Amino acid sequence: MIYDIRHLTLYEYGSTVTFSHCALRLLPTDGPGQTVLSSELSVTPAPTQTIERMCFFGNRLTFLTIETGHRKLIIEANTSVEIDRREPLDEGATPAFEMVREEAFASTSFERDSPAHFLHPSRLAPRFEPASDYARESFSARRPVLEGAKELMHRIKGDFKYDTKATVVSTPLSEAFGKRRGVCQDFAHIMIAGLRGLGLPAAYISGYIRTIPPAGKERLEGADAMHAWVSLWCGEAHGWVGLDPTNAMMIGNDHIVLAQGRDYADISPVAGIILGSREQDVDVKVDVAPRV
Amino acid sequence: MSLSAPDQAKADLDATGRVTELAAGYKPLPGIPDEFIGADGRPRAHWLRFLDTLMEFSAGDMNRRFATADRHIRDTGVSYRAYGDTSERAWPLSHMPLLIEAGEWREIAQGIEQRARLLELVLADIYGEGRLIAAGELPAAAVTGSPEFLHPLHGVKPPGDKFLHIYAADIGRGPDGRWWVLGDRSQAPSGAGYALANRLVLARAFPALYRDMNVERLAPFFEAFRFGLTSKAQRSDPRICLLTPGPFNETYFEQAYLARYLGLLLVEGGDLTMRDGKVHVRTIAGLKRADVIWRRIDSDFADPLELNARSRLGVPGLVDALREGGVVIANALGSGVLEAPAMMSFMPKLCRTLLGEDLRLPNIATWWCGQGQARRSVIADMDELAIAGAFGNPVLGFARNQPLVGAALGAEAKSRLAAAMTDRGVDFVGQEVVNLSTTPVWRDGRIEPRPFVLRVYAARTPEGWNIMPGGFCRISGRADARAVSMGEGVQSADVWVLADKPVAMVSLLPTGETVRIRRIMGTLPSRAADNLFWLGRYIERSEATLRLIRCLAGRMIETGAGTANPGSAVSKLTSLLVAWHAAPVEAVSSAMALAAIALHGGEDYGSALSLVRDARRAASFIRERLSTDTWRLIGDLKQNLSIDGQGPLAEAETFERADAALRTIAAISGLAQENMNRGAGWRLFDTGWRIERGVNTCRFARHFASGDAPADDLDVLLDLVDSQITYRSRYQMGVALNPVRDMVVLDSFNPRSVAFQVEKLDEHLETLPLLSDDGMIEAPRRLILQLAAEVATATASSLDNEKILGFEQSLLGLADAIAARYFLQGPHVARADKSSGLA
Repeated sequence: MIYDIRHLTLYEYGSTVTFSHCALRLLPTDGPGQTVLSSELSVTPAPTQTIERMCFFGNRLTFLTIETGHRKLIIEANTSVEIDRREPLDEGATPAFEMVREEAFASTSFERDSPAHFLHPSRLAPRFEPASDYARESFSARRPVLEGAKELMHRIKGDFKYDTKATVVSTPLSEAFGKRRGVCQDFAHIMIAGLRGLGLPAAYISGYIRTIPPAGKERLEGADAMHAWVSLWCGEAHGWVGLDPTNAMMIGNDHIVLAQGRDYADISPVAGIILGSREQDVDVKVDVAPRV
Repeated sequence: MSLSAPDQAKADLDATGRVTELAAGYKPLPGIPDEFIGADGRPRAHWLRFLDTLMEFSAGDMNRRFATADRHIRDTGVSYRAYGDTSERAWPLSHMPLLIEAGEWREIAQGIEQRARLLELVLADIYGEGRLIAAGELPAAAVTGSPEFLHPLHGVKPPGDKFLHIYAADIGRGPDGRWWVLGDRSQAPSGAGYALANRLVLARAFPALYRDMNVERLAPFFEAFRFGLTSKAQRSDPRICLLTPGPFNETYFEQAYLARYLGLLLVEGGDLTMRDGKVHVRTIAGLKRADVIWRRIDSDFADPLELNARSRLGVPGLVDALREGGVVIANALGSGVLEAPAMMSFMPKLCRTLLGEDLRLPNIATWWCGQGQARRSVIADMDELAIAGAFGNPVLGFARNQPLVGAALGAEAKSRLAAAMTDRGVDFVGQEVVNLSTTPVWRDGRIEPRPFVLRVYAARTPEGWNIMPGGFCRISGRADARAVSMGEGVQSADVWVLADKPVAMVSLLPTGETVRIRRIMGTLPSRAADNLFWLGRYIERSEATLRLIRCLAGRMIETGAGTANPGSAVSKLTSLLVAWHAAPVEAVSSAMALAAIALHGGEDYGSALSLVRDARRAASFIRERLSTDTWRLIGDLKQNLSIDGQGPLAEAETFERADAALRTIAAISGLAQENMNRGAGWRLFDTGWRIERGVNTCRFARHFASGDAPADDLDVLLDLVDSQITYRSRYQMGVALNPVRDMVVLDSFNPRSVAFQVEKLDEHLETLPLLSDDGMIEAPRRLILQLAAEVATATASSLDNEKILGFEQSLLGLADAIAARYFLQGPHVARADKSSGLA
């Protein structure tokens, strides 16, 4: 399946901004089952300097320096991506979760996909005992790791209500957990915190999900906006497996990966724009169109 | 006067007797090594030598010297904050130094030097090739668990390939009498400046003692450190900045102190900006390159773009500048990863692998529980061990850095801990239980043992690591302690490393020919300029307010308190004080009470006390630029105006206090005129002062010399602008409107006139740097030239309130133009707080 994605971000300021540095993570990369056919970024006003780098976690990072006075900043990313993912793993065949964590603790890899990077608390997925305890219920002794994780994913879908009004980007995990409400970002962080609390490596994936459902199927939550889900390390032999707690489904051909990190803070799509001023407004639009 | 031989003998005998008495009264804690009493149960020779000399002072003399030391600390403002404090605390310095003799010191120094070399190699490998991790010598999860391991810095090579420039270790004497490393400080070690301050205080209190004991000097270490920072920069004569989190940081005093001592530019994140892969300081002369940054902010806060996005302390794009090699940062961002207790468990082995040597100073035996075998044995032996967070994280909800002693835990807590360690062993270390060794402190004429931690510093130089002969010693307030951080009851002590032979005098003075002669101390950062300007304005505003108060109190004394009709002058004075928000409008009913409120009321933002507080706050942001005397005087001023309100003051008392405060301001002004270097800093400070005085004088003139002003009002005006004597000597007849207006507004020979301020302002603005070399004058200068022409061509008879108001508004417009041109603009601003409502 090929997707054409348009991701538009618009900032409006109350006063003229004459100089700004920002860092964008809006361009996808090739990965397992995913090939980027084209990608293009356009920014208004035009930056005086654009530097592209690969960040530690393998995401494309674009640094911009804007020196033209502006009250409006428009960032548009247009990408085309082909998705062809393998069938998901047989969860019963994955190793017991205790084995997986011992393996992760002893890892001698420092590559970007090493479990060691995703094992510890991070800024937006901090240590939170109630989330660990919640996750623990799905991991009875020696349970295959993916079996436990799938159950946890389904429980989150069942116990938490999707509610775009309940939280904002800066809402702490503990609050979303307490309210049992939130959006994809909250559910992903909660699931990650729970898994890590048990010593299991879990990553945060940001991306998109197809907007128009296939005929006869329900429309998925998280379309028309950025989406986020979880990737779990199932041991050296099985590697990383994607789980979407918002929709209670394994990652398949409806999901397009944009970036991966320990949590949202590692991969926020636009960094460096000073938020917090009352006089500032941000608007994001996402279109994900399957090519027919 | 010297003592005769028999008297001398008697005094010696007394001293010896008192030492014996002191030693006899000193009881080290059982089983814990002590500095004064050796393992053999006998006093160590160098301590006896010290006490012998100390006891030659009579008890009275000694107390006087201790008091001098305490006063010196208070007066020079040596201070710190405990975390969360709103105000600074005076520095608690123990009256006894910690003594370490030469032979023992050599072992410590060699151990620290070795550890610094080792840590540099480990750090370079973690952020570079990663051989130790690949070879299984260092588990990946033991590195990534530290919040100080910063992924964006992986693969970023620091200029000159060196990560650490200053390193410190906390050490203590273990049960076997050897020194042990308790913790590593590789991020931004604090305390070196306090060590220096401690030395100055104690050496000043006991100069002869200090000399006779052959104490090693600290200055060469700081010289070496500064030289080491310089040597990695790309330019000769580089600009070195000390990046501070700001005045609310616990150790801001130390940062300002070291910046001053080492001649570094003290900057906050907002002072710096990244352009084209290089870092620049925003100064009043535009952007100036920052070559080396000694950071005292945590790594994570250094760059909101790639690190902690919520940080307001850092410089957006700093990490990218590092990638480009455009700036040297000491220590490298992310070097705090080595401070994790988990790292300690690998150090003995890493030392053998990387250096082929054993650790010269052992560290506390530590087992990282991420490894199955270590975890199982730690759980099994929990009763003999302490359990701590592997990465400084709290254990079972206890405070950070507070190891739990297994033996002290109940069965329930132990099983909870074991379960937590089974889930996430990576988060825990087991450590040998450590009791800190003790050193004598002076208390009420006796000495007592107290646990202490010694921090030892190493600085990188081109010739290798230089170890500070001394250190920062913290002494616990309680007899039993496992950890000592500055807080309630904790003291610090000077550390005397005793050389075998007399020590040469060295201070931080460079030698002859290598120094380029310069008269102006670099460029003035915009933020400092802003604060200097406002300091000048606040002080002058306080002065004007105090003059109103003094004048009011004076009139009340003359006319007699409680007069039913106090006269127009008095009511004008009170209405002006109310208009300036020095006192609330309800207070007008009693001029006497109003004067007292305007003087020391804390509620109204225009009271003398409020203004002095604002001045003090502005001063606190630029402390390293003010002389100690100036800082003290501003402190005195605030102190003297802060009186507990026990009923309204009598007129005479208000008069006296206002008069005394004005004398202090005169002293501050005198210091500024006579002692402050005529650089841009002084000019901005004086510019603020002059603008404010010009504005206030215009206001006085409009208020007391309007067209129909009675003689009494004109008389008050001459008082307010301190021109009575000049006026009387110039004009034989009584006060009249035009001569008074001329003297107060137009007479450029009168240093209090508006015209005089305008002339000075023009001088300053002419001298301040220009942003471009196109020969055009900048906006502030244009405004002052215009105003100067208007004032110079005006005549007393043509002057009216409207015209004076015009001058006043021009001055306020000039203040805005100065702010727009010289001070920080944009989102990352650290402006001086203008809560007083001054325009």
